[in-house]
Amino acid sequence: MRIIQACCKLGLDFVCVYTAEDEASGHLSLARELGGQAFRISSYHDANEIMAVADHAGATAVHPGYGYFAEDYRFARRVCERTRPMIWIGPSWRVIRTLGDKINTKRLARSLGVPTVPGSDRPVYDELEAEEIADSLFRFQAEQGIDLARVLVKASAGGGGMGIEEVHNLDHFKTVYRRIRNYSKRQFHDEGVLIEQRILDFNHLEVQIAADRHGSIAHFGTRNCTIQSTGRQKRVEIAPGFAPDQIKYSFDAAKVLDDITNHSLAIAKEVGYDNVGTWEWIVTPAGQPFLMEVNTRIQVENGVSAAISRLKGQPGVDIIKEQIRMGLGDPMGFTQQDITFEGIGIEYRIIAEDPANRFTPWVGRIDRFNPPQAPWLSMHSQIPQDKPYVIPTEFDPNLALAIIWGKDLAEAKSRGVEFLDRLVLQGQDQEGNPMKSNIAFLREKTSDILVF
Amino acid sequence: MDIEKSTQELADRLQYIQDIFGSRQPGDVALLAEKLAEFRAREQAEGMPQKVKLLAQIQDLFDFVEKKLDAELVPMDKVRIVRHPQRITLKDILEFVYDNYTEIGGQDEYSIDPSMVIARAYITRRIGDKVHNQPVMVIGQEKGHGQEFRNGGSVKPWGNAKALQYMKVAETENIPIHTYVFTPGAFPVEDYPGAAQQIARNLYEMAALRVPVVACFSEGGSGGAEAIALADTRLMLSHGYYSVISPEGAAAIESGIRQGQRAPVSMIEECAERLKITAADNLRMGYIDRVVHEPPLGARPHHYDFFKRLRQEMIMATDEAFLGVKGLGLIRGMALKRRKKDAVADPESMFVRWVLDEGAADRLVWKRYSKFRNMAKGAMRDKTPASRRLTDSLQQVSWSTYSYLRYEFLRTYGKKLMTLAEETRAEAGVVLEKVLRPFKSGGARKVDTQTIQKLTELSCAEEGICLTGDWDGGYVSPKAREDKAVTCPNASTHGCLDLWAPDLFGDFAGVCQYCGHHFPMEYQWFIHNVLDKDSAIEFGQDVEAGNPLDYPGFDQKIEEAKRKNKIKSSCLTYEASIDGVKIVIGVLVAPFRGGTVGAAEGEKFIRALSRARKKHYPFLAYVHGTAGIRIQEGTNGVIQMPRATMAVRRYIEAGGLYTVLYDTNSYAGPVASFLGCSPYQFSVRSANIGFAGPGVIKETTGIDIAPDYHKAYNALARGHIQGIWDRREIRNNLVQAFQTIGGRNLYYR
Repeated sequence: MRIIQACCKLGLDFVCVYTAEDEASGHLSLARELGGQAFRISSYHDANEIMAVADHAGATAVHPGYGYFAEDYRFARRVCERTRPMIWIGPSWRVIRTLGDKINTKRLARSLGVPTVPGSDRPVYDELEAEEIADSLFRFQAEQGIDLARVLVKASAGGGGMGIEEVHNLDHFKTVYRRIRNYSKRQFHDEGVLIEQRILDFNHLEVQIAADRHGSIAHFGTRNCTIQSTGRQKRVEIAPGFAPDQIKYSFDAAKVLDDITNHSLAIAKEVGYDNVGTWEWIVTPAGQPFLMEVNTRIQVENGVSAAISRLKGQPGVDIIKEQIRMGLGDPMGFTQQDITFEGIGIEYRIIAEDPANRFTPWVGRIDRFNPPQAPWLSMHSQIPQDKPYVIPTEFDPNLALAIIWGKDLAEAKSRGVEFLDRLVLQGQDQEGNPMKSNIAFLREKTSDILVF
Repeated sequence: MDIEKSTQELADRLQYIQDIFGSRQPGDVALLAEKLAEFRAREQAEGMPQKVKLLAQIQDLFDFVEKKLDAELVPMDKVRIVRHPQRITLKDILEFVYDNYTEIGGQDEYSIDPSMVIARAYITRRIGDKVHNQPVMVIGQEKGHGQEFRNGGSVKPWGNAKALQYMKVAETENIPIHTYVFTPGAFPVEDYPGAAQQIARNLYEMAALRVPVVACFSEGGSGGAEAIALADTRLMLSHGYYSVISPEGAAAIESGIRQGQRAPVSMIEECAERLKITAADNLRMGYIDRVVHEPPLGARPHHYDFFKRLRQEMIMATDEAFLGVKGLGLIRGMALKRRKKDAVADPESMFVRWVLDEGAADRLVWKRYSKFRNMAKGAMRDKTPASRRLTDSLQQVSWSTYSYLRYEFLRTYGKKLMTLAEETRAEAGVVLEKVLRPFKSGGARKVDTQTIQKLTELSCAEEGICLTGDWDGGYVSPKAREDKAVTCPNASTHGCLDLWAPDLFGDFAGVCQYCGHHFPMEYQWFIHNVLDKDSAIEFGQDVEAGNPLDYPGFDQKIEEAKRKNKIKSSCLTYEASIDGVKIVIGVLVAPFRGGTVGAAEGEKFIRALSRARKKHYPFLAYVHGTAGIRIQEGTNGVIQMPRATMAVRRYIEAGGLYTVLYDTNSYAGPVASFLGCSPYQFSVRSANIGFAGPGVIKETTGIDIAPDYHKAYNALARGHIQGIWDRREIRNNLVQAFQTIGGRNLYYR
């Protein structure tokens, strides 16, 4: 929806695709309302279908959205290198490929002096070497006064949480190492493992980067995404990452924000980053940041950064619009000096789930959905407000995004609570039980946002 | 005199003559038929003396005409002769050539394979008053004068296994082996031990049998013949044939007909001619040592003179094999030479003891190797300039010397020095520990800055920042340059989405991401993306495939293959490294005439093996694909089977590691010899491995086989190969293989 809206703002034609399950989705009705074409495909995962639609409609550029193909360099390459090439709205596929590899990203960061999680930065094949690294990691943590020292052993060829195990002490290490090594050998035919410090207590920060195709790179500030579900899914995002002028931190928070911003820009410059992207960081209670990974795509939470950004003093920044505009080859048209920040933004993800029960998704029909209206609030939702809506089980049960702005933390927090209290969301499941959502969870978490 | 019986014999002779000339009946045959009919008509009216006289006349006429027709035989007639039910068989030979025999390993139809007959026989020589009974092991295919259960001499894999078993028995008993080749080809089934694999095993073992082997060819059909024909002396009957493929098979390929259809007779006759399959041809090319002359129109069981001649030839060949390697026997050797010139002399008048001592057996094996090594030299084009040949041979000497110094000399003495040093260090360590103990602090060890640096800063910066980012510069398949979506053949059963060609052939090594189906890739992909980057250095490019038989039209075809593939033969040889381990590899390239092996390919393979042996490197045979022996080269191609297998054996016995990897279709001769004899054969999932393709199996056996008959999984289940690899994992698996298996002379560990 936000991509369609951005296209309209730029006066660009658009087509969109949808699947049978998404028949009732808001992006479809919006597209039809705005006079764009929509094509039904059988799966969002099938690149062939998407290309066929693009060719049929005569599209000249492809925006991958937030997921699926957005970080798939092969898809991006296919878009750019086919016989009828199109413009890829995203960083060039070579950049996606380089930063898509965690080991590469880590080594790249280290080569620029950017802090990364202590541990190995290449696959370890030798048992003695592995043990030595683990040993020094435990001693390293002990020296820093970390009580619950932990070391992670990961299959270097793995991903998505497969083949990762935690080690509590060195005696335990050898067994775990061998188990992971053998698992990795069986599963990925590669014996290499990575050994890293496990950081248990941290804040999750992000830096929003934007760049054009001509070498200009700027940032749209930081975000704090520490409030997450048990499955490490973000629930509340706040911009900026810390508020050192309003909250007291045990470390120099302003310097941390500056550092991670500058480090992110340095890496972006090094790889020739040429579109929007997010640098993910973790910050320890001691104020030590470590680069985690780079998301080479626009993220859902871009709106909260836009909410506090002022371009040449003006509000109403749309990062997706800027992404499309620069993706198509327009020069940036502004500099870092033109971007200023004002106030605090809070983004709530309103989701049909049961936070008390390990965030289990709730399935059913939404009967009433009435968000309040306010000048400090913007809503993004595919849920229709005039008719009941059955949540499709195939996708994320993400119902709505609400972005609240306040001139300071106190105002933002009170507006956030006000919004959550006034929001009407009712429905029932097949047995007639009332709808479950995370609204109470969000309200509770609002009180201590940005506190570390 | 039994007139009736003699008349019947004449009628049989006439029928035989008519049979072997097939559709082409010379006028003389009609004359014979006419005369015989005339005799039969007149016979009743005549008295006995007149009958005998007339019969003698007509018998003379038959003799005369047979002699006359003998000169007119074309190669295809000879094929018909050896296949005729009246043709002599092994049982006839056992009966009339040897003095006594006992059939072993089965009797008639009660045998694991009645088409392979084995007998312990002996030859009696009477020298003065003394009688010598000299035992031999007789092994050969039995056609059985048309007995159904003999399967026409087409031996099943277990029949060849039986032959091998008794060759080993002969070796243990230290008695010579006589083999008789009477086969149209092996029975192409894959059931264990497998047609191809068993022939390969036979060749590998025969390459180093420590007793003399004398082979005699009547019908030498390709791989089936080779299974028992790797011999010190190879005789051939004058009316026999020895060929890479049956003329019908060649004609079927030549005319490009489909399964079930028959090639025109004229084409079959032409192919028989072109393939140069006769005894005279093979003698000229050097693949047999001598021809045993048969009576006009071929030997039949009533030609007793012929058996006598064959007996003499076999004895002489055996004597020769012994005398050639025995220490004492100079005079007898000279006598033998004289006797060869003067065929009438009686070899039985001289005695040669048929026993070898260890030294002589070594010489025998070496002589056999040299004999085959020197075959087919003229059948390929070696364009290496003379100056390079000299430097090459000097270089080879230097490799051998270097290997000797480094791996033999230094290993022995270096090890001793190293052990001494280790012991000394250990002793010193104990002393040092005692001295330093009081000074060592007891508390927890501190983390020094160096360790912290190791944990937080870039390691091994010299290897570059992006370790897994070496995407550019490798080989990119031309198929990966097309903008198209490729549909996996398993899409309907596995639900695979279409794959974009650049992804499939560029990133996934031609493997379907969804179901693992393997699409064929070019051989260059292997050279550039499996071996260490830019490590492959080709050698032996100057050896080119040719057209040794002047097979009509083949010059253009081979030039076309060279031009299209930009290579000079289907076998490419490289020196390369994989994960730092230096290796020599031989590649059989599928697009070059189907990856077929001829004289040039065999020679290159052998040279590569010898290079690996001299340098003490592992050897990898990467079979991108092979359809078999190149039929247009005839026996020049077939002979590569024993030649290359012997080279493999020599390499392995010198301590080398010989690994084979099949990628796509790998069939026939090469698999049945120098590839199949490897103890370490692996396959990529896409490979089909076997002796003969489905069409040939249907044609020769009448059996319909399942479509997955030759699939790698079935080859693995039958025990022919040792493992199946995903193409994307070849490199890792090879590294693993080189780390865990290997011969004793490989130094990379």
